[in-house]
Amino acid sequence: MSSETSVPPPTRHVMWKPWANPIFRRFCRSRLRPRSLGIWLLVTVMIAGFLFAFSDVLGSKRFSLSLEDSARAPLIPLLWFQAFILFVLGTAQVSGGITAERDEGVIDYQRLIPMSPLSKVFGYVFGLPIREYLLVFATLPFTAWSLWKGNVEMQAWLPLYTVFFTSTLLYHFTGLVTGTVVKNRRWAFLVSIGLVFCLYTIIPQLEKVGLVFFKYLTMAPVYSECLPGLLPKPVGAVVSVGQQLAPSAKFFNLDFPEAVFTVFSQGGLVLTFVIMLRRRWKRAESHLLGKLWATLFFIWIQILLLGNALPLVDSGSLFPSRGFARYAHLDFNWVPNRMEAVGMSGLYGLVTLVLLFILGGMITPSPEYQIRGWRRARKQGRRSLPFLSDAATGSWFVALMAIAGAVGWYLFTQALVESRWYPGHVVPLSTLGYFIAIMLAAGLGFQVLLETRGGRAIGLATILIGVAPVMIGAVMFAIGEWLYTTASWVIGASPLSLPFYAAGSLLSLSNLPDGVERAVPRAFHFWLLVTSLVTVWLITQLRAARKQMAQRILEDET
Amino acid sequence: MITSKETPAIDIRDLRVDYGNFVAVDDLTLSVPSGEVFGLVGPNGAGKTSTFRVLTTLMEPTYGDVFLDGVDILEDLESARRIVGYMPDLAPVPSDLKVWEFLDFHAAAYGLGTKLQRRERVAECLEEVALTDQRHSWCKQLSRGQTQRVVLAKTLLHRPRVMILDEPASGLDPLARRDLRQALRRLADKGATVFVSSHILSELAEMCSSLCVMNKGRLLASGTAEQVRQQLGSTERTLTATLLGRQDEAAAWLQSQSGVHRLQLAGEQVIFDFTGSDDAQAGLMEGLIAQGLRLRAFEEKRSSFEDILVEVAETNRRS
Repeated sequence: MSSETSVPPPTRHVMWKPWANPIFRRFCRSRLRPRSLGIWLLVTVMIAGFLFAFSDVLGSKRFSLSLEDSARAPLIPLLWFQAFILFVLGTAQVSGGITAERDEGVIDYQRLIPMSPLSKVFGYVFGLPIREYLLVFATLPFTAWSLWKGNVEMQAWLPLYTVFFTSTLLYHFTGLVTGTVVKNRRWAFLVSIGLVFCLYTIIPQLEKVGLVFFKYLTMAPVYSECLPGLLPKPVGAVVSVGQQLAPSAKFFNLDFPEAVFTVFSQGGLVLTFVIMLRRRWKRAESHLLGKLWATLFFIWIQILLLGNALPLVDSGSLFPSRGFARYAHLDFNWVPNRMEAVGMSGLYGLVTLVLLFILGGMITPSPEYQIRGWRRARKQGRRSLPFLSDAATGSWFVALMAIAGAVGWYLFTQALVESRWYPGHVVPLSTLGYFIAIMLAAGLGFQVLLETRGGRAIGLATILIGVAPVMIGAVMFAIGEWLYTTASWVIGASPLSLPFYAAGSLLSLSNLPDGVERAVPRAFHFWLLVTSLVTVWLITQLRAARKQMAQRILEDET
Repeated sequence: MITSKETPAIDIRDLRVDYGNFVAVDDLTLSVPSGEVFGLVGPNGAGKTSTFRVLTTLMEPTYGDVFLDGVDILEDLESARRIVGYMPDLAPVPSDLKVWEFLDFHAAAYGLGTKLQRRERVAECLEEVALTDQRHSWCKQLSRGQTQRVVLAKTLLHRPRVMILDEPASGLDPLARRDLRQALRRLADKGATVFVSSHILSELAEMCSSLCVMNKGRLLASGTAEQVRQQLGSTERTLTATLLGRQDEAAAWLQSQSGVHRLQLAGEQVIFDFTGSDDAQAGLMEGLIAQGLRLRAFEEKRSSFEDILVEVAETNRRS
């Protein structure tokens, strides 16, 4: 053996030097090999060059635009191309890359290396898509040329590219979280692409039915805001008419530029993802979110939902039937339909409930995790589990979230129903009691079932109790009117239908169609009672099981 | 961290690992002194890998305490990770890196000095595992044995005080196995503690100063190879006495001795199984000579470690 070098004692990597991050450098090395990078760069520059030349020439020659206007023409195609590279290819690379590390088994090495969890997270999130960043960088000269020659003002492109970057981060973090959580490589890839697709196309659609906040998860609001300044002037002028009528981002009584609010919303989500990944890198078995953070995150979402929605009630912009008219007060006789408010209230309740399920599931410990927690607590001489530890019951926090969700739902409903659009209608305080009962019964029932019986039971319950009744009821509705009453009772069995049934039964605005106007309220009260009783029974079961577990571990110790 | 000489390098107390209702490691208590090459042997599913994953902080145990050089790994994860070097089963390597890049990445991640210092350390470790000539090869192009050695080099990089090697010899040819044995001994001589697993007991017996045997998550025996043999109840051996005549008399005399059974005659030889201490065995030889019998040779054949392990596994399976 050779004589050994005198290596200084190992030093810990400093997080604020990303260029020195070993994980980042490792991917720079492997993903920027000259041969394959050269081919990718060639293809990218070719496409970008084509988009640039084609748009420019088309504008100047075919449409006889001025030099300045034709120079602006390539900006939007180039932006879409850059978005494709970073949003689609980059996200796929992040989720695929992290799952490949796990598949190959080398992720265990990375767990053991003495870098802080945050350094590891940043190393991966910037290192894995490094080639895609470089490819986008290669297209920037074309963009820069267009901006310069097109005399595009900084106010037009800076917010757009800022949000482009935060959106990229959001999607890459989505990919990294998915790749970290989902075990199977192929599934991780599909789920991350599916999630990005949902984040970008499906979830923002909720904006049209009153949940305005969700549109800020995309570039769309800033894109619309900045578009007139990027387009050739004749086209931009037309678009800017619409833009001037479009409201800026409203948050309670505050007005924000769309870009600022988008960065704020996306930043919150990115921060949450960072916390999830940090926890997982610190300890692979950790919950994705701690109890306190999950509760705060839930409340934060509620505040954003309300903050964005409530200012739009009085103008009528929040209502789906306003449609395009939300941007232009053209029809002075327009009034919202009564059932619109009922449906929007129900949807708000459903989204809140689903969020409660997701976050409740995240903070619920498995039986093995509880045993570990109890044993560690005993070892430390404690007689109970630390309240905020992962092993402690999640029920208290789910209850807190349920109450916060119910309050948010109530405020939203009250703002809609008691608005100027529905004179004479009020939402009594008793409705808040019902909303709390629904959130507690369904949300807590879900969480307690998960904690006592585990993931398999909750999966089965979701299919048989959550989804199947809705499907069966829908089929019965389709068969004929004579089955409406039965169908109402069947659908009501699903806790997911409770928010809609509550809105339909409790709001004075409600104008249920013939055949269900009596069945829905009855089914609602009956199934709410049943769900509540089952939840109470599950809670007693859980308490007994936890007491037994604590006792058994204490006996083991002694 | 300063640890006293008496502090065991690895101290496992009442370790239990559950996967749902399946108990992978059951009440394991074990202590490994510093500077030892300690072997952990057991058939597949014995709980070796689960034990190792707990030791390397990759998995939290359901119950129990583990100390590495006096550091409680459940309470001080960071320190524990600096102490330990881990080579997992099947020794994975990234497919997109060259050998030196893979090692340099780990050297950088462990903060092992400047670029030049890291390069020298990488070269040392490659030399240690006799892979200097493969420095610029792609990790994915290496043979199984070479891959094992690259990962061993990676494990050596930060000079861990405790090395956990899961099946390091699998896939190695006899020469490489001998080199590995020597490398591990050298590491132990320098004060590192090596905890190494295998399902081939004879392989461990050759390279380890002590070892333990696990099966179905439980510790069956531990100590030196001979102590393990005794603890597993395998003191039985087959003895063959070759005599110049009077074999019948010898057989009759041996039959009357305690511990002798399954005796048979084969020409000049009397072959029998014997269970007893080495002293008692020597007494048999003396007795035969004292009887005036002309003993030409006395041969002993013990069951191999593999036989013992197979027997243990079979017994457990039946039970």
